[in-house]
Formats: sequence, structure tokens, C-alpha cells
Amino acid sequence: MSALEIIRLEQISKHYGQGDLEVLALHKINLLVNQGEYCAIMGPSGSGKSTAMQILGCLDRPSTGRYYLQRQAVDSLHDDELAYIRNRKLGFVFQQFHLLPQLTAMENVMLPMTYAGLPHKERHERAAYALNQVGLEQRMSYRPNQLSGGQQQRVAIARAIVNQPILLLADEPTGALDSRTSQEIMNIFQSLNDRGMTIIMVTHDFETARLCQRIIWFQDGTIINNALTPEEFREFSRGSSRTAPTAATTHL
Amino acid sequence: MAVYLAENASMAVRTLSANKLRSGLTMLGIIIGNASVIAMIAVGQGAQQFIGKQFQSLGTNILFVLPGIAPEGPLASSIPAESLVLDDAEAMAREVPAIAGVAPEKSDRLRVTWADKDTQVDVTGTNSEYPSVRNAGVAKGRFFSMLELQQHQRVAVLGSETARTLFGDRYPVGAKIRIRNYSFRVIGVMAEKGASMGMNQDEAIFIPISVMASQLTGEDNAYTSPSLQSISVSAKSSENMSAAQFQINNLLRLRHNVKGENDFTVRSQQELLQTADSITGMLVVLMAATSGISLLVGGIGIMNIMLVSVSERTQEIGLRKALGATHKDIQVQFTVEAVILALTGGSIGIAIAVAGTVIFAALTPLEAIVSPVAILLAVGVSGAIGLGFGVLPARNAARLDPIIALRS
Ligand SMILES: Nc1ncnc2c1ncn2[C@@H]1O[C@H](COP(=O)(O)OP(=O)(O)OP(=O)(O)O)[C@@H](O)[C@H]1O
Ligand SMILES: [Mg+2]
Repeated sequence: MSALEIIRLEQISKHYGQGDLEVLALHKINLLVNQGEYCAIMGPSGSGKSTAMQILGCLDRPSTGRYYLQRQAVDSLHDDELAYIRNRKLGFVFQQFHLLPQLTAMENVMLPMTYAGLPHKERHERAAYALNQVGLEQRMSYRPNQLSGGQQQRVAIARAIVNQPILLLADEPTGALDSRTSQEIMNIFQSLNDRGMTIIMVTHDFETARLCQRIIWFQDGTIINNALTPEEFREFSRGSSRTAPTAATTHL
Repeated sequence: MAVYLAENASMAVRTLSANKLRSGLTMLGIIIGNASVIAMIAVGQGAQQFIGKQFQSLGTNILFVLPGIAPEGPLASSIPAESLVLDDAEAMAREVPAIAGVAPEKSDRLRVTWADKDTQVDVTGTNSEYPSVRNAGVAKGRFFSMLELQQHQRVAVLGSETARTLFGDRYPVGAKIRIRNYSFRVIGVMAEKGASMGMNQDEAIFIPISVMASQLTGEDNAYTSPSLQSISVSAKSSENMSAAQFQINNLLRLRHNVKGENDFTVRSQQELLQTADSITGMLVVLMAATSGISLLVGGIGIMNIMLVSVSERTQEIGLRKALGATHKDIQVQFTVEAVILALTGGSIGIAIAVAGTVIFAALTPLEAIVSPVAILLAVGVSGAIGLGFGVLPARNAARLDPIIALRS
């Protein structure tokens, strides 16, 4: 067992609904992610990627199985303990940015520190530093509706990293952006990873996934392959190009 | 903790001012409720004080003897109103030691003319002690004397309002007016007194009771003493009030041969004041209670809009939870919003009430008193309403699952 272990999932299952309506979104997943890794999760639509991200992000609890975050079992913690972990240890980036429209970029970035109870001055300094990291030092007092999609997503990234999390989770962060803007976002992720940030990102785009060291392939609620290099993935997807998309369509 | 609340408050102000129309409409109920509670209390207390002053202007040592029993008695209407006569008044003056003066009153609404002026006035027959007993001053000329009364002289003293109606700016003393076609010489004008218990005391004419009984109402004969509407009595001092009341009671029971229930009522100024006070007090409570209901409705309005707002803001709530907001953080956020809505609405309501009261006081003889207690109470109640009615929406918000909230 590595000393740098960040995430360990053991036999994680998740089902939604009950009885006839029950959907098995995840089925006995095992996963190990170490400090400093940059992983892409890929797979057909409905294969359970977002469900897995929500469990990894402590936004939801698994139905069965164990989840260790930095060797701490978090699958059975109370709501407030999970809130604390989300606040201090995890950063999220969503496809739809989810910025609060009435707040400026700066205030949006300061929000997680509000819940951390940091003094105002420190919040301000840290938020300014985070916005600087994503190249938005000129736009701190803009509101979301005065920013482009890419800029909004960069604010969201600044907000995700401002509490210095141990893990950055991004569910299709470039899904709502054009390819040039996506490239900017990927550059930011790359530089964060270069400085040691562990990142797990869901994407549908191979060009995006190619930038990661490790690709995790989901299908029908299970992990088919959990450590493909981009080169292996190219081979893998060529071999299964008939099956993977077909599986997705039948699933839907 | 204080910093935490202040941050929540400033966030709430941002959120609420982002949607001004909705916030305004949400506050409307509280605004109206607060404005009406405070205005009602102000006007009510003003009325109470006004009535108190009116009674004070009648004199403090005064007792009223009225025919019939107290109006609240079941037999009130069955006892003839003629039970009080002039002889009673004279007997009281003669035989009750605690009394300083007695003024009988026999009134009728009669036609009064002068030159081309023609009006209806309450004409009161009384005696020369009226001004001292009723604490009423004479502004011009003089009141009539005992001698004029005994000689049945047709002299009249006008209330200030009546003098103005008949004579305008002219000097009335010495003029001849006609009351029911009898000619009267005006010898004086009373000082202004203002209205009391719905009656304008300045719209009056005072004449000797002997003339009133013999010539104007025509019931004077050798066998019966003329009946009276009331007898005003002034006690020698305020300490003598209850003694006077007791002695008058005994004298009249004897004179009227009463075995059971009195056929007259002796009322002190104090009692009348208390009655009026309790009536207006009740009115104030009633009005305040009615407005209180509108406050309650305002609170329900806040709850209603907050519930809608929570269901519209599930994304925001989910996001905040994803960023680390606890159950308590969300609960506090929404409760603070509700309290700020209620307090802001309350303050606007108070401002409207104060402005309204000042205008009201300027337009009417009533003094309107905006009491600080009422304002504090209203602020407190508004805050409590925000707290009370904000709890349910805030709890709904806090209970939202971050996942479900982020998805929608
Ligand atoms: N709240 C829910 N209630 C019921 N079923 C759900 C719920 N959330 C997800 N599912 C189901 O679980 C399965 C996995 O969904 P998930 O969102 O994880 O897929 P995904 O891999 O993220 O797909 P996509 O690429 O389209 O985002 C799907 O069949 C989906 O219908
Ligand atoms: Mg998804």
C-alpha cells in the first residue's frame, strides 16, 4: 500500500430508486488513486461516471462498499462531517460552472472560505492568489454575466482550489465550452497537476483525456479498465470501438 | 458569531436586493401590518388623551346628577326621565353641606334668529352658578345674575361658536336675538371650550332656568317643579367628592321616596373619565388586535415567498452545500433573509405610520402620540415573525440533498 494513497474504493455499489424502478448505477467498483495523479474518467453515457464522481466528492454516499479518503473511511460519516471534508479536502468543478450570479468573481471564490470561517483579510488574499493562478487577476470584480464561459469556468476552478484541497474533481469541465477555450482550461489543470494537485476529471473528449497520465474506462456501472495510458487507450478504443458505443446506446 | 451573522446579513441584503420587486411584495403584508398597528395605537392613545383633557376642562370637583338609573341598568328605559326636578337642585344647594355650588340644566334644541341669521341651537336654562360649577369662563360681557333669574328676565349668554354663527365679527353684547320668537337681550359670550363627548360645548345659549321653564318649554305651573336633564354639582374640594356623592344620594332617595332602585344617578367626573378611558382603551386594544392579524398574515406571506424562493434556489443551495455549507449554515442563511425581510418591512411600516400619524394629527383636533414602546414592540414582533415564519422554509432549504439540488 502506497504512502501517497489519496483514494481507495472497495466494492462500491450505488443504486437509485426501489423495487421495479431500481437502477444499479455502480456495481462493485474498486479504485486506487495516488497523490499527484491526473486521471480521466471516460465511458459511454449512463455508465455511472457522474455517480462515481458524486461519491468521490462526498456529495452522495455509496449504497454498499467502503470509501477511504486519505485512509479515512468517509462512506458512513454524518452530513456535517462530509460538509467539512468537501470544504477542506475537496474541490469541485462542474460542467455548468455554478457561480452565484449576484456575487463578483472575487466573492464567488471567497465563498468556500466563508464556510471555513477564515478571517476576511486572509480570504481576500487567498482568493486573489487563486484568481491569479487561473489568469483572472484583471476580472476580480466582474459578475458572472460579465464573463465569458471560459472565464466563468476559470472562476469556478479558482473557487475549487482556494481552500487548497487534496483532490480536484471535475465532471465534464469543458463540456459547455468550445475547443479553444477547453484548451485554456486544460492548460490550467495541467499546471495545477504539475504543482502536485491530484485531479480526477470526467470527459467525453479523447483529445482532452490524452493529456492525462491515466484513463479509467467505465461501462455499465463497472470499471472495465482502471489504468490505461493514452497510448493503450487508443488501442483499447480501437478494439472495442464496436462494443463501447453500442453498449451505451442499448443502455439508454 | 457576530461576524458570522453580519456576513449572513450582508449576503442576505445582496440576495434580497437582487430581486427588489419580489422582496417588496413579500414585505407588503408586514409593512401594512406594522403601519396599521402603530397608527392605531397612536390615534387611540391620542383619543384617550384628548378625552382626558376634555374632562379636565369640565373641572375636577364636579359631580353630575342625572335622571333615571345608570344607563347600563336593565330598567334604564322604564324609569321616566322626568325624575329630576328643579326643586331637587334647590334642596341640594340648601341641605348638602359638602356642596359648593349647584347648576341645574334644562335644555332644548330651539330656533334662534338674529337679523337674517336663522339657526338651531341647544338652549340651556340654568342658574347664575353655572360658570363657577362647570369651570366655564365668560369672554365678553357677563353671565346673568341671580336677580335676573328671579325676575324672569329674558337675557342670554352665547357660546362662542353660536356668537360667531349669528354675529360674525360684530360685537354681540347688547343685541336682541329671538329664541322661539321671544326676544332676548344678549349680555355675554362664553369663552371657547371645545367639544366634549361628541357635543360642541361652544354651540350653546344659556338663559335663566326660570325663563326656560316658564316661557320656552311652557311646563311651569304652580303645582309641579320643572324637570331637568341634569344637575351639575361642584364639591367644596376634591376630598369632599365622596361625601357629597353620598349626601346627594341620601337626599334624593328621601325626596323621591325611593325604596328600591334609585331613579337617578350620581356620577363623578372621575367615573365618567374612567368609563370613557376604558371604552377608548378597549377600542385601542381591538384596533391593535385587528392590525395584529394583518401582521400575522404578513408573516405568512413571508413564509410563502420564502418557500417559493427555496424551491427556486435549489441549485444555489446545492452549490453552497457542495462547497462545504453545513445544515446550520443554510438554515441560518435563510432565516436571516426572512428576518431581514420582516425587519425592513417593519421599519418601512413604522415610517409610514409616523408620517401618517403626523398628518392625521395636523388635520384633526386629536393629538396623535407615536409611542416608542409601540415602535419597539412592532420591531420586536416583526423580527419574531421573520424568525417564526422563516424557520420552515429555512429548514426545507437546509434539508436539501446537495446532489438533487445541483442536478435540477
Ligand atoms: N438520481 C437518480 N435517480 C435514478 N437514476 C439515476 C440517478 N442518477 C443517475 N441515475 C442513473 O444511473 C446511471 C448512471 O448515471 P450517471 O449520471 O452516473 O451516468 P454518466 O456516466 O455520468 O452519463 P453521462 O455521460 O451522460 O453524464 C444512469 O442509468 C442514470 O439513469
Ligand atoms: Mg455524467
